[in-house]
Amino acid sequence: MSKTEDNKTSNISEQNTAVPVIELKNIEKHFDSLYVIKNVSLKVNKGEVVVIIGPSGSGKSTLCRTINRLETIDSGEILIDGERIPEEGKDLARLRSEVGMVFQSFNLFAHMTILENIMLAPVDVLKMNKAQAKKEALELLKRVGVENQAEKYPAQLSGGQQQRVAIARSLAMHPKAILFDEPTSALDPEMIGEVLSVIRELAESGMTMLIVTHEMGFAKDVADRIIFMDDGNILADEKPEIFFAEQKNPRIQAFLSKVSKK
Amino acid sequence: MSITELLSQFGHEYFLGYLTTLQLTFFSFLGAFIIGTVMTVFRVSPIKPLRTFGNFYVQVFRNIPGAALLILLVYAIPYLSIVFSYYTCVLIATTLIPSAFLSEHLITGINTIDKGQIEAARSLGLTFSQIISKIVIPQAVRSTVLHMTNLLVATMLTTAIASQVPLNPLDLTGLVAHINTHATGGIMAFAISAILYCLTAVLIGQIGNKIDKKVRVLR
Amino acid sequence: MKNQQITILDVLYEEPGPKTRRKIFTFTILSSILVTLFVLLIIFRFYVTGQLSARYWRFFAKWTTWAFLLKGLLGTVRVALMAALITFSMGFLFMFGRVRGYKVVKFISSVLIEFTRGVPTLLFIYFFFFGMPLFGIKMSAFWKITIPVAVSASGAVAEVLRGGVNAVHKGQREAALSLGLTENRTFFKIVFPQAFKYVIPSLISELVIVLKDTTFAYVVSFNDLMQNSSVLISNYDALLSVYLVAAVIYILINYFLNKLSVALALKR
Repeated sequence: MSKTEDNKTSNISEQNTAVPVIELKNIEKHFDSLYVIKNVSLKVNKGEVVVIIGPSGSGKSTLCRTINRLETIDSGEILIDGERIPEEGKDLARLRSEVGMVFQSFNLFAHMTILENIMLAPVDVLKMNKAQAKKEALELLKRVGVENQAEKYPAQLSGGQQQRVAIARSLAMHPKAILFDEPTSALDPEMIGEVLSVIRELAESGMTMLIVTHEMGFAKDVADRIIFMDDGNILADEKPEIFFAEQKNPRIQAFLSKVSKK
Repeated sequence: MSITELLSQFGHEYFLGYLTTLQLTFFSFLGAFIIGTVMTVFRVSPIKPLRTFGNFYVQVFRNIPGAALLILLVYAIPYLSIVFSYYTCVLIATTLIPSAFLSEHLITGINTIDKGQIEAARSLGLTFSQIISKIVIPQAVRSTVLHMTNLLVATMLTTAIASQVPLNPLDLTGLVAHINTHATGGIMAFAISAILYCLTAVLIGQIGNKIDKKVRVLR
Repeated sequence: MKNQQITILDVLYEEPGPKTRRKIFTFTILSSILVTLFVLLIIFRFYVTGQLSARYWRFFAKWTTWAFLLKGLLGTVRVALMAALITFSMGFLFMFGRVRGYKVVKFISSVLIEFTRGVPTLLFIYFFFFGMPLFGIKMSAFWKITIPVAVSASGAVAEVLRGGVNAVHKGQREAALSLGLTENRTFFKIVFPQAFKYVIPSLISELVIVLKDTTFAYVVSFNDLMQNSSVLISNYDALLSVYLVAAVIYILINYFLNKLSVALALKR
């Protein structure tokens, strides 16, 4: 859990140096008359691991998906490295290539081998040389512990292996940050650990991450900040020690006690 | 007539008939593939008039009976001063009808793709055309091999409507009708044509199965 | 949580930005114009060749015209329903032979299935048309069209039913057997009813094929919709309009049958 940044304070104060990697300003989103995100603002600084937790339907997944414009917003601003995300076209694609995403259902390309899955974007988007891409892909597979499966197809791998490949696929793009949308929710219990340890290793290496998850123990362990979302609003944005140990908000307390009963 | 009599008298015609059937099948399927693909592009595009047109086309030609379409082409549209040769009329009918089914199969194939993969590709920074060419089309095509095989067989069976117009050379079905009107072919006359159709269908099926096993996407 | 109603078409395109919206708008207008022009061209063709004149369409206002067409349609429906009954029975027998029979029965069933699937309906129709007199069998036109149509579809129906049987969870059969039911009882009371429910939509699709095949009834001179249309044509000397209307009737019937099939499939 060693975080090397020491210019963090114990509340939601701004970083007084660099531009935040991800910044959301007054985001709102609604489906017809149903507001799923109500005036949300947050920042993720370089090297930070921000974990979002909350009940189902709180809008946390939707919020995560607005950051790379898989979902659109109705008002507010989203900035990646200080730059507004474009609405369409090549610029949007370029920006997406800089922010990685790991999905709940892995979403590996079924008709390609594991190796091809990882090499596709670096070659086609970053215009990387094929040999170079292959070399890096094999290194990444080793890093996530799936190097023997390079020539297999996704359907031949277990859920845990597929998700680790998905993480490697995102890493292959050398992203500025990686978004995780409930990365372990679709996994059988015995495979959650292997994926969480990969994510933990990523965090320790200094990758900027935004993770939406239900895994409380993991959140406590790895997060620099915990954000609690409920009904489209952010109710808390605190360091884990404060969030879990000194929680004053009754709503959050109720949620935590329900979750810990599991 | 016994089989030897039949073959000595009509053997050549059977050969030509088989070729005619195969030729019609081949060109119809080719045309159906091109038209069907274009219609699928229309039906999948974000432009509503194109979608409506494509859907209307498919609904008309998958629901119209082959005989009705052929009759319209041969007897009715000459009243609009549009006259095609008999062969062309048959070819049009045997192309348009399978094209509608082909489009349906392509859309089914596209739908087998997990929508999450599209989002994953998008989040990696692939452009729309890259997503279509690298993710959608390869998977859609691989999922439709069996359907396309069945459609090819169905196209061959549809070409039997060529028997309803005077063609030269006659197709396999028309030949049987011809033989029985001018002589007594008996069961053998049918059997030869039937076996030719059937064996071809089985052969196409086997090849299709082999291709499908090789390219099918594991899920 | 897969929402079955969302197809790939919903995710293929994302929320368009302003430039894309303008492009879509332009192309929408352009293609509307092109499609409208195409339709107008067709109507113009009708007009120029005089096919729009009243004498070709006036008689459709008369009830007798529709009554006559309806009689023809009734013939079509009679053939289709009887053929459906026969083809279902035959298809069931073939399927049963293939699924439950001993090796020889299995082989024969498979051969019959491949044969009926691989031969065009018209060839079967000609066989009955020319063949029945040859064997000295007197058969009415009704049967001369109904039986070959039924035979032609039986192989496909057999395969549809077989697919349904294979789709039934094998645990169903195992549970029934372990309760003491015989293989036959298990099949007829447990497995097949479920299989049938699964494949109703596909069976309706086969019905559409059967209906389309009935249009060859003129080969055996049976009075179906097409035949009655011909009578109307010689009566009023209006070929294009009558055949067009007949074609539209077939298209509409099949269209609604297909819609029914899809609706039943979605209900699952």
